[in-house]
Amino acid sequence: MRKPRIGIFDFACCEGCQLQIVNLEEEILDLLGVVTPVEWREAMSDQAEKGESFDIALVEGSITREEDAERLREIRARAKFLIALGACATIGGVNKLKNNFGMNDVKETVYGEAADMPHLETMPTKALHEVVQVDYMVHGCPIEAAELAHVVRTLLAGKTPTLPAYPVCVECKLKENACRFEFGEICLGPITRAGCGARCPSEGSWCFGCRGLVDDPNTQAAREVMAHYGKTIDDLRGKMLLFNSK
Amino acid sequence: MTVRVVPRAALDAWVNDLVQRQKVYGVQLKEERFAFGPLVRAADLRLDYDVTLLPPKKYFLPQREVLSRFDRFKVEFEPVLADEPFVLLGVHPYDFEAIRQLDAIFSRNHPDAHYLTRRRNATIVVSDVETPSQDVFAACMGTATADCMDGWDVLLTRIADATYAVEARTEKGTALVGQIQGTKGAGEADLEQRRAVWDRNRDVLKKHQLRMNPEDLPDLLARSYDHPVWEEKAALCYSCGSCNLVCPTCYCFDVADELHWDLQTGERTRHWDGCMLEKFAEVAGGHNFRGGKAARYRHRYYRKGKWIHDLTGDIACVGCGRCISACTAKIANPVEVFNRLMEATS
Amino acid sequence: MSEATVQNRAPAGADAPRSIYLPEPATLVDVRPMTKQEKFFRFQMARAEGMKYMPGQFAEISLPGIGECPISISSSPTRNGDGSFEMVIRSAGAVTAALHRLSPGDRVGVRGPFGTHFPVEDEFRGKDLVFICGGIGLVPVRSAIHYVLDQRDDYRKITVLFGARSPEERLFIGELYDLKTRKDVFFQETVDVADPTWGGNVGVITTLMPQLRLEADRTVVIICGPPIMYKFVLLELRKLQVANRNIYVSLERHMKCGVGKCGHCQINGLYACQDGPVFRYADISSVREAI
Ligand SMILES: Cc1cc2nc3c(=O)[nH]c(=O)nc-3n(C[C@H](O)[C@H](O)[C@H](O)COP(=O)(O)OP(=O)(O)OC[C@H]3O[C@@H](n4cnc5c(N)ncnc54)[C@H](O)[C@@H]3O)c2cc1C
Ligand code: SF4
Ligand code: SF4
Ligand code: SF4
Ligand code: SF4
Ligand code: SF4
Ligand code: FES
Repeated sequence: MRKPRIGIFDFACCEGCQLQIVNLEEEILDLLGVVTPVEWREAMSDQAEKGESFDIALVEGSITREEDAERLREIRARAKFLIALGACATIGGVNKLKNNFGMNDVKETVYGEAADMPHLETMPTKALHEVVQVDYMVHGCPIEAAELAHVVRTLLAGKTPTLPAYPVCVECKLKENACRFEFGEICLGPITRAGCGARCPSEGSWCFGCRGLVDDPNTQAAREVMAHYGKTIDDLRGKMLLFNSK
Repeated sequence: MTVRVVPRAALDAWVNDLVQRQKVYGVQLKEERFAFGPLVRAADLRLDYDVTLLPPKKYFLPQREVLSRFDRFKVEFEPVLADEPFVLLGVHPYDFEAIRQLDAIFSRNHPDAHYLTRRRNATIVVSDVETPSQDVFAACMGTATADCMDGWDVLLTRIADATYAVEARTEKGTALVGQIQGTKGAGEADLEQRRAVWDRNRDVLKKHQLRMNPEDLPDLLARSYDHPVWEEKAALCYSCGSCNLVCPTCYCFDVADELHWDLQTGERTRHWDGCMLEKFAEVAGGHNFRGGKAARYRHRYYRKGKWIHDLTGDIACVGCGRCISACTAKIANPVEVFNRLMEATS
Repeated sequence: MSEATVQNRAPAGADAPRSIYLPEPATLVDVRPMTKQEKFFRFQMARAEGMKYMPGQFAEISLPGIGECPISISSSPTRNGDGSFEMVIRSAGAVTAALHRLSPGDRVGVRGPFGTHFPVEDEFRGKDLVFICGGIGLVPVRSAIHYVLDQRDDYRKITVLFGARSPEERLFIGELYDLKTRKDVFFQETVDVADPTWGGNVGVITTLMPQLRLEADRTVVIICGPPIMYKFVLLELRKLQVANRNIYVSLERHMKCGVGKCGHCQINGLYACQDGPVFRYADISSVREAI
């Protein structure tokens, strides 16, 4: 049986997610046992022929320039199954913070005087699914290596994995954590999509929403609920800006 | 069925010996809260705990458990049943009542060998509540004390500062208690002290006051289906399932297959699920039979006060108060909801 | 994952209790495409006595590594002398899509049969029977139709109404034709949306109902179809004065265990997997989540 071919690509992001793949350590050997990597800048020196197709394309980073969008479309055309990897790719993540400001302000803040140079042309940050069709999203900043491994295995067995539709609180309760709200903190767990195993609350910190919102987050309730804890809706909004800017 | 009295030091010596010989789970400190966990020494055991984050049902119906191992190409399944005996130390009476209710559910009709094997392997030491938790209302549900409950193996009651009364009710329990050195038979004064603990608990485990008898709940709910409280409360619901997951009588589950890297062998596992989660009643194609928050919210209360009662005769809320504390939206208090229904319908 | 995952070991004794979640082996003996979305399957259990079931019951079909799902048994026990059973499966998600990729000789896991069945041996006997099926709802009802046709003398008038969304979504086209041509069955069908090949009725299934001439007190009606269909059919039946106790419905719900444990299939206090999927309508007419 031909081993499935896998390509790994990156756009604007810290590349922490690709590091996560390298960090799969024992799992990476197992992964390499079942797939053939054909394009991967982080870990391979020789690259595939341009235009070659893959069974699975793992793509991380968000789209901030038109030429990136074009390259993404080309990857999409070559991939049977496209997986967005990490918050930058799945929800735009931290890169979307800049969408809260005018594009020129952003350029000026980042590049100062040089802001008008043409190679710095920037557009509002887009998650991958805002540009092409994405078959699955491995959320998180950074991703959970175990989740990626699970997704790859599931795909190779002929089954499309499904994203958890429930919030982080579920996994937090399963881990038997004390709730951050009881310690007077605001936690985004109730409106954030699960899948990380409630990583942050399990380490004694609140969830900052790196996996994006659940499908139907009850943001309506937020005002009243915040009031119950002596907080305001702006306290909550401030927390949400980091990962869930529009 | 004799009651014996044992000093804390002797109890600790017994625990320290027991953990060498057997798997023991006991209540310990976790992040300023309490949780059942594998016990390695008596010093970690906190019989003075108020309530555990998760109920002890996790030892009979674990958050995740392997039901079978499979081979994808041979299409074969091999069952997996846990067969390790263990002792559960420090179960509060209300949590024991919940275990008894789950026993009834998992042994009726199609008995569930996975649950029942774990249950058979357990020796349960119930301990009377020493510190009431902030939201407990066991006294309103008749579950504050274990004196009238059947099925526990050992009951431990702190009758004086460093003195416990120990009673065994089953063969397993008698064998276990028989290993404690330095006990003496309880005198009338000791029994009197134990009754005083029970009287106190029946009085103080009432941080919320239910304004009816639990037995009246099925009838009350039968006439409250269209009450506005369901919509009102559910408007704040995050559908986070916390109220289900922490509940000692909730037992709904999901089943999933997990493959190993050989892409051939793997495990069929079951996981806790909850009726408050949005997709719980959704079917392929997208139709959701309980798509609205209010419908899901109502279902949980009916499960506690009516549906399980119709099935087994039990009121499936034991008043542990966990859902009240766990709900970040502060809407999951059964007492508040049931009292509210009373107001409008009586 | 969780610290509460108690260590598992296989039970020692041979008399260890049997897991109700353990699938038994079965082999796919025949598979045929039916429509764009549905395929017909025939399975044979490995156990010697084969599958023993009644019309309306379902079984859980497993593909290890993919999952398990509930599927109605579509054949009649009157026709499964060899112990095999038939199913019609719509490709709707992970498990059903994987089932569509199987070929004869492939193995699957099976648990069941589960649930209640149509009372073909009891309340149906000596009655006029009216089967009203929408789309894939024909699949479980087909078992009962075959059953009563095979004991034709035990029942009186038999009527079958079938509605499909479009002509290309009609199931068991050959059998529908047989029903239409049989002298001892009154058969009518319709499609929601016609295409150029279609010369028959057009409209939802309830448009076939006003022409029914029923003797309400000796008629039993059987309904199975998509969730929205029941309400409208029941309204028409009320006009025709059919009593709730003479109406049987087969209901679908999300199911995981099939044995009354997982909670997914609950309809208020009832379990669709145990108290159903076949219900007498009189028993659930006041159950608010039912229809
Ligand atoms: C009593 C009964 C009889 C059925 N008979 C048939 C039949 O004869 N032919 C047919 O094609 N389909 C039938 N179905 C529907 C079929 O079970 C679903 O289409 C199937 O479960 C989808 O599973 P999946 O893994 O392919 O889809 P996914 O969407 O990937 O399924 C996710 C899981 O959710 C659960 N689930 C999802 N949808 C349903 C559902 N509709 N009902 C129950 N559980 C669900 C299952 O456990 C499933 O494995 C029946 C359902 C029930 C309850
Ligand atoms: S800590 Fe956060 S994620 Fe955990 S239960 Fe509380 S709100 Fe939910
Ligand atoms: S707990 Fe929240 S912030 Fe932390 S990893 Fe999970 S989703 Fe991201
Ligand atoms: S409903 Fe709430 S108070 Fe009642 S048993 Fe469950 S968690 Fe405890
Ligand atoms: S139906 Fe809801 S309330 Fe009942 S056991 Fe299941 S999760 Fe708990
Ligand atoms: S814990 Fe509260 S917010 Fe979460 S599902 Fe239950 S009622 Fe809703
Ligand atoms: S399918 Fe699990 S209870 Fe009915």
